[in-house]
Amino acid sequence: MKSFAYATASSPAGARDLVGADGRYLAGGMDLLSEMKEYIAQPKTLVNIKALPGLSKIEPGSKLWSFGANVTIAEIEDHEDIRKTFPALPQAAAEVGSRQIRNLGTLGGNLAQHSRCWYYRHRDTLCLKKGGDLCYARHGDNRYHSLFTGNSCISPVVSNMAIALAALDAQVLVQKADKTLRLTIAELYAEAWRNPEAHNSLEPGDLILKVEVPVQNQRSAYLQMSAKSEFDWALVSCAAAGRLEAGKLSQVRVVMGAIANVPYQVEAANRFLEGKALDESSADKAADILLEKPHLFSDNGYKLPIARALIRRTLLQLKA
Amino acid sequence: MPGWPEKRDYIGSHHTRVDAPAKVTGSAKYTSDVQPEGWLYGMILRSKWPKAKITKIDLDKARSIPGIKAAIVAREGERTVRYYGEELAALAGTSRQACEDALKVIEVEAKELPFVVREEDAKEAEAPRVWENAPNLSKPSVQEKGDVDTAFSECAAVVEGFYTTPVQLHHPLETHGNTVSWTEEEVTAWSSTQGITSVLDDAARNLKVPANKVRVISEFMGGGFGSKFGLGVEGGLAARLSQAANAPVKLMLPRFDEALAVGNRPSSFQKIKLGAKADGTLHAFELESYGTAGIGSGNASEGGGGGAEFPAPYIYTVPNTRKKQSAVAINAGSARAFRAPGHPTASFGMESIMDELAVKMDIDPVELRIKNDPSEVRRKEYRLGAERFGWKEKYKKPGSSEGPIKTGVGCAGATWGGGGRGTKAQAQINPDGSVEIRCGTQDLGTGSKTVIALIAADLLGLKPEQIVVRVGDTRFPPSGGSGGSTTTASVAPAIYDVCMKALDELQKQTGVTDARGQNWLAACKQLGVNPLTVSGQWQEGLSSSGAGGVQFAEVQVDTETGFTRVKKITCVQDGGLFVSKLTAESQVNGGIIMGIGYALYEERVMDKTSGVVLNPNFETYRLPGLADVPEIEVILLDMPERGVIGIGEPVTIPTASAVANAVANALGVRVSRIPITPARVLEALSKRTPVPA
Amino acid sequence: MSDPKGKDSSALSRRSFLKTFGASAGVAATAQVEAVAAELAKANAERAYGPGPVPITLQVNGEALKVELEPRVTLLDALRNHLKLTGSKEVCDRGTCGACSVFLDDKLAYSCSVLAIEAQRFKITTIEGLAKDGKLTPVQQAFIEQDALMCGYCTPGFVMSVTALLKQNPHPTAEQVKKACSGNLCRCGTYPRVMQAALKAAGVAQHKEAEVISYARLA
Repeated sequence: MKSFAYATASSPAGARDLVGADGRYLAGGMDLLSEMKEYIAQPKTLVNIKALPGLSKIEPGSKLWSFGANVTIAEIEDHEDIRKTFPALPQAAAEVGSRQIRNLGTLGGNLAQHSRCWYYRHRDTLCLKKGGDLCYARHGDNRYHSLFTGNSCISPVVSNMAIALAALDAQVLVQKADKTLRLTIAELYAEAWRNPEAHNSLEPGDLILKVEVPVQNQRSAYLQMSAKSEFDWALVSCAAAGRLEAGKLSQVRVVMGAIANVPYQVEAANRFLEGKALDESSADKAADILLEKPHLFSDNGYKLPIARALIRRTLLQLKA
Repeated sequence: MPGWPEKRDYIGSHHTRVDAPAKVTGSAKYTSDVQPEGWLYGMILRSKWPKAKITKIDLDKARSIPGIKAAIVAREGERTVRYYGEELAALAGTSRQACEDALKVIEVEAKELPFVVREEDAKEAEAPRVWENAPNLSKPSVQEKGDVDTAFSECAAVVEGFYTTPVQLHHPLETHGNTVSWTEEEVTAWSSTQGITSVLDDAARNLKVPANKVRVISEFMGGGFGSKFGLGVEGGLAARLSQAANAPVKLMLPRFDEALAVGNRPSSFQKIKLGAKADGTLHAFELESYGTAGIGSGNASEGGGGGAEFPAPYIYTVPNTRKKQSAVAINAGSARAFRAPGHPTASFGMESIMDELAVKMDIDPVELRIKNDPSEVRRKEYRLGAERFGWKEKYKKPGSSEGPIKTGVGCAGATWGGGGRGTKAQAQINPDGSVEIRCGTQDLGTGSKTVIALIAADLLGLKPEQIVVRVGDTRFPPSGGSGGSTTTASVAPAIYDVCMKALDELQKQTGVTDARGQNWLAACKQLGVNPLTVSGQWQEGLSSSGAGGVQFAEVQVDTETGFTRVKKITCVQDGGLFVSKLTAESQVNGGIIMGIGYALYEERVMDKTSGVVLNPNFETYRLPGLADVPEIEVILLDMPERGVIGIGEPVTIPTASAVANAVANALGVRVSRIPITPARVLEALSKRTPVPA
Repeated sequence: MSDPKGKDSSALSRRSFLKTFGASAGVAATAQVEAVAAELAKANAERAYGPGPVPITLQVNGEALKVELEPRVTLLDALRNHLKLTGSKEVCDRGTCGACSVFLDDKLAYSCSVLAIEAQRFKITTIEGLAKDGKLTPVQQAFIEQDALMCGYCTPGFVMSVTALLKQNPHPTAEQVKKACSGNLCRCGTYPRVMQAALKAAGVAQHKEAEVISYARLA
C-alpha cells in the first residue's frame, strides 16, 4: 500500500474535514484495504469512521427499523428478531464473504463497496472505470458481467445487502457537506447506471449514516447462486419482498443483483405481480418482463437462465 | 534378506503425526517464518508487459528509498521478456513498506511487442510468435501402432469427441520463496522446497559457490505439488541480494506471483476417436491434441511434445492407435510438474470417451472398463468399488433422473509408478536411550517424518514418541526430491536398513542379545559416554513401484442454474504396504479434493487484450472449500508383499474424469470441457437435442 | 475505545487549552474546563497519525506489546515480522483464505485485513495464545487425533475458526461447521478431517478410518 496518515473521526463533520479531497473513509476495511494493496486506491489519509456516535446500533421499531452504517454484517446475520420481520436481510448477510469478513465488514461499507470486475481490480489494466479509455470486459472475458447497463462500463453491482434492502424499500441517510439526504437504494446507485467511473451515487466526502427499513407486514427472501457452495461472489442474486394474502401477492418488489450496474428492478414486473397468485406461472411471467432486452456479451448469456430460476425460487420462497 | 517385520504395532497403524503438535500450536517454523539476525525483506519487480524488449532498468531512485540495502537487475543487458510476470529486478530492504515503495520507483524502458496468450489464437499461422525463430505450434510428435484406419472400418461402434482441460495452478498455501544468508563461510538457504538437494545443486552452480559451502534447510514447508524443485529465479535473486546487502534476505513470493511465474499444469485440447468390436473390446484409437506449457512450449524441436504431451490411450490397451500431439507456445509462464504430470489430463479425455462408447453400445461403463483394463489389480478394484459405491443401483440411463435436480454417476481409473530408491540415513542412539534419525528428505505434509518414526519404533521395539526425526537439511545423509510419489518407497527401506544396523551395532557393542523393547534402556546405558551413530541406505526388496486406483463419483446437477454438487466419491486405492495408514488416507482425501477443483472450479484465465493473468488470486481462481467436499469413502487395498510404493499422485488422477462422467450421466449430455462451471452446464443443456417422449 | 497516543499530544493540548481559554474569558471556570477537555478529546481523537512510524501498543495473548509502525502496516505484518509471532500465516494477504485468522475481542477476523494501528482497540488472540502453559485445547487435540492437518500451513487458521465456532455454538451441526470454516482454504485436502475434528471436539464421537481390505482375499 502507499503510505497514508490515519485519523479517527468523532463527528461526521470532523470526518469530512479529515478526509478532505484525497482521503478515504475506513469502515471495516474489507474492501478498501484490498483496493489499496493493488494501488488502485491511494488515499493520503484514512479516516476511521467506526467511532462515530450513534451509528453502530440496530434499532427495531414498529414503523421502521434503523440500522447504523457501522453495524457489522455479522450483527445482522446473528440478530435474534430480524428473521421474523425482514428474513431477506439475514439471508443476504449470511452470504457476504466469510465469517471473518462479516465480523468486521459494515453495512455502510457493504453498500459503498467498489466494483469487483476483474479488470477494475487488476493493477495493470487501466480500464474505463479507472479513467482509462477502454472497457476491457466488453471485448474480453465478461463471464461475470452485467446484462443491463446504461453506459459503457459493464461491471455489475455486488452488494448483497443492497439487493435485499432494495426489495424492502429501504432508505439510506447520507451526510453531505451541507445537508443530510434521504435516498432510496435506486437513488444510491443511480449514478453507476449513467457514469462509467461511478460505483454508486456517493460523492467524495459523502458519508452513509443509517439505513431505515419500513415495517410493511411483508414477507421477504434473498437467494443467490455461486460457483462454489460458500464464500463466493454471486453469479446472480435475487431478493423479493411483498405481501401475501390468501395466496395473492401485493406490493411486490423483485430485485436482481450481479446482472446490472445497479440493483436491478423493473417497475412493470413488480406491477404485473400485483394481485396475482403466487405460483410458478406468475413468477415466470414476471421474469420475462424483468429480464427483457438483456445485453448478451460473449460470455455472460448463461446468467439469464440462472436469473429466471432465481426469480421463481425467491418468489416461491415467500410462501414459506 | 530384508523384510518388513511380521509383527507391526506402528507400521500400518493410524498413529498420529509426529509433528502435529507443532503444527496445531503455530510453533512449527516454515521457510516464511525463519528470521535470522538482521534479516531483510526481498521483493521482485515483474514485467507488466506480456512481451517486450527491455532496454533499460534504472535502479537509482529505488536505491535511495530509505531502508533499501540492495537492488539488482534479474539479468544484465537488453533482453526480451516473454510473459506478464517475468522477473526484471529485485531489491532488499529493512521493511516490507520500504521495498514496496522502492519497487514503485524502479524505472523500466520497454518497447512493447505483439503477443498472444490464448492457445486457440496462438496456433494460427499469423499469430505473433512467442519465440522469433519458431512457429508457436510445434510439429506434432506422431506415434502409430497397427493400422488404425482399417481398424476403424472394422469397428461395430465408433465415437468421437473433443475434450478440453485448462491450465491449472499449483497454489501451495506457502508461496515459493527462500531466506538466503550469504556469508564468507557458507550460503545457507532456508527453502520452501520439495528437494533440498536440488536447491543445493542449483545454488552451487548458479552462484558459483563450491557445493561444500552451501547448506539448504527445509524443516517445515507449506506444500509444493511438484512446483518446488531447484533454486528458482526467486531463490537466485534472494541469494544475490544477500550477497550484495551482506545480510540474510527473505524473499517469499506474494500470492499474485504464484499465478504468473512458478509453474502450472499444461492445458489440453484433445480430439479423440475410439472404436470397439461388437463385444466391447477396444479396437481403434486416434488422438490429435495440442496444449500449452506457456513459453516452455516454445523452441520445441520437431517430434518433441513441447511439455504438453500426455500418455494415451492412458490405461487401456488398444491394438491400433495413432497419436499426434503438439504443443503451442503462448506468452505465459512455463509449466512445471504438477501432481501426476500428464495423467489427469490423459485420464479426462480417455475416460470421457470411454463413457461415450459405453452409452453408444449400451454397455455398463464399469463392465466396459473391466473388459479393457489390462491390470488385474484395477479390475478387482472396479468390482470392489462398484459394490461399495452401489453402482448397480445408482447407474441409470443418461439424463433419466426426474426433476430439475439430476443425479448421475461415473467412474475412472489411474496408474502411477511411484517407487523410489537411493536414500541414505543416519541413526544416533544415545546412552540415555533416546534415538535420533537424520535423513535429508522432505516432509511436504505427506507425513514422511511420521513414516520414519513408525518404522524406527517397530524395528527397535520403542514408541514413536521416543524417536526424534530430523529431516530437511543437506547436512543430513541425502535422499531424493519429494516428487513422483517416490519418497516413502525411497526413504522407508533406508530407515529399515539404518535401524537394523543400529540395533545390530548396539547389540554387538554391549553384548546384549536382544536390545529391543524393555531391554532398550539397560542396553543403551552400557554404551557408556559416547552415543552410537550408524549409517544406512536404501535396500532392495522392501519397496516396489506401480500403483493403480479407481474412483467412483456421484453428482447432483441443478439443470436450472448449472450448479454441480459432488455428493460422494468412493476410492479404492492400492499402494503396496502402507507404512502410515493415517497419512495415506489423508493423501487420498487430498488428491480427490484437488481433482474436484480440476473438475469444477480451477482454470487460469488470460486476458487477450492486455495479456495479463485475470485471476491471480483466490477470488476468481477458485480452490474447493470445505463445503464443496463430498462424502469421501476410502478403501485401501493392503498388499504388503509388494513392499512400500507411494500414492501421492495416483489418487488425484481419475477424480475429474469420474466427476465429468457423472455429470454427463446426470444430464444426458456431456460437458466436455473442465472446469465444469454453471455456464458450461447450461450451454451444454441448451445445445441438447430434445429426447423424443 | 483507546486511540493511539501521538508524540506531540502534549504540545497540542497546550495550544488547544490556550485557544479556548483565551476565547471564552467571560464563561464560568468549570464550564471552561469542560469545554477545554472536550476540545482536547476532539483534537486528540481527530488527529492524524503517520504516515511515518507511530508508537502503538497491541494487546496480544494477554501481553501489552509496544512497536513503532507506519499506519499502513497490517496486523498480520505486525504479528509476524515485528513481534515474531509467526503462527498466523500470510497466504493471500487479501482476506480470501483464512490462514491469518486471529480473534479480535473473541471475533474471528483476517489479520491481513486490519491495520495494526486500529487493532490497538482489541484484545487480540493468536494461535500461540490458545494453549495455556503448554496444555493443548480440546480443538487442538482433536485436530491431532483426527489428522486434520497435513503440511500444516492452513492449520492455525482452521484451529482458530473451529475454536471460534465452538465458543459461539458448542454443539454445531455439520452444516454449521461448513459455514464456520468457509473462510478458510486448504490445498492439501484436510477438509474431511477438519470436519471430523470439529465434531469430535464438540463431543460428537467421530473417528472415521478408511476401510482396509487385504488384496489377497479379494475374489
